[in-house]
Amino acid sequence: MSESNQTDLTRRQFVGKGAAAAAAVTVAPGVLLYGAAEARNLDQPASSDVRWGMLIDTNKCDKGCNDCVTACQTENGWGGENSNEKNSSPEQKAQWIRKVELKDISTGHTQSLPVMCQHCENPPCVDVCPTTASMKRADGVVLVDRHLCIGCRFCMMACPYKARSFVHESLTDQKAHAPRGKGCVESCNLCVHKLDAGEGVTACSVSCTKGAITVGDLNDEKSEIAQQLKNHKTTQIRADLGLNTGVRYRGI
Amino acid sequence: MKPVRKLLGLLSAALLLTMLVPNAIAEVGPIIPKAIKGKQCVEDTSEMRRNHMDYLKKHRVEALRHGVRTKQYSLKECLECHVPAKGTETSAENGQFCKNCHVFVGVKLDCFDCHATQPEPLDAKAAKLHPFATPAMKALGRIDQPHSAIVMNRLATEKREAE
Repeated sequence: MSESNQTDLTRRQFVGKGAAAAAAVTVAPGVLLYGAAEARNLDQPASSDVRWGMLIDTNKCDKGCNDCVTACQTENGWGGENSNEKNSSPEQKAQWIRKVELKDISTGHTQSLPVMCQHCENPPCVDVCPTTASMKRADGVVLVDRHLCIGCRFCMMACPYKARSFVHESLTDQKAHAPRGKGCVESCNLCVHKLDAGEGVTACSVSCTKGAITVGDLNDEKSEIAQQLKNHKTTQIRADLGLNTGVRYRGI
Repeated sequence: MKPVRKLLGLLSAALLLTMLVPNAIAEVGPIIPKAIKGKQCVEDTSEMRRNHMDYLKKHRVEALRHGVRTKQYSLKECLECHVPAKGTETSAENGQFCKNCHVFVGVKLDCFDCHATQPEPLDAKAAKLHPFATPAMKALGRIDQPHSAIVMNRLATEKREAE
């Protein structure tokens, strides 16, 4: 009769194994944990220890697919069939995210990718804003403070990514978490309401069935996005401008 | 006799006045619809009447620019108590809580040029918090009825059919 090894487990080991088992449960298929454990308290301000970023794998991005755009529209209440910008021409209407097709003229090879606010570390839109309405939060999210925006549209001209739009007419029926209105400039806000709620995802990243969009903390070495950036060659659009964008692309 | 009658006359006149005056004031002042939820505001009513704009302004700076997402002084939370949710039956005669006063005192209210005028309906909130509201469920459009029992039943029947 030899003693069973199981009884040799010290309390500490047991707790450790239990924690490992719990972690395994969270990654089981069908169960989705929105990184709630890492969420900061609601009464804490955004911290510069975190830098939110996004990685878009253009190899996984389908040409005809528009899911990320429609998801953003439903989440934040802009554009789409129910748009209440009735009198604006298509090029005037708000556009927080758009699909762009790249074509290599010599080979004819085409690629499709979403482009939105690149959440620069050194954002030109913030530099040019005369009222400090265009701003970068401590955690790297670039936003428009509509309370201060006077609608001068300098930021629209300064942005190399054409990421910003101006709202030309009175709006109704806005989303409670995404206020927007006439006379203000707006752009992708990296679903900041979701990030602040600890969900750690954006509407577009959730909607992408191919898993082409990853959102996470660039400063956290263990985060999925940091790992992917470490292990694969990625690109910033117009890296030559030295803006250090928070949105990175793979495969372009 | 005469002074007594005079006194009685005065008294009745005074009584009439006391009965009339409150009604007269009520007619002049704005209609203030009762809060839908809760009995006590985040601060005393008198304090809120005078200084709500300061609380809101302080909160808006902290929430938007610094990401402090406390609920206490958020405009969204004001609406939760003072405005019926989207899709609920409302009586138009009472008007809107914020608007009634602002119209009465002649102060322009432009919060709602951008902000939602009504809270999200309860169903939408439940769907957001619901454990079944995973991206896959959303993609399949299965969170239109967020009640867990309904979802469970549907999943079970579908599974049975698949088998």
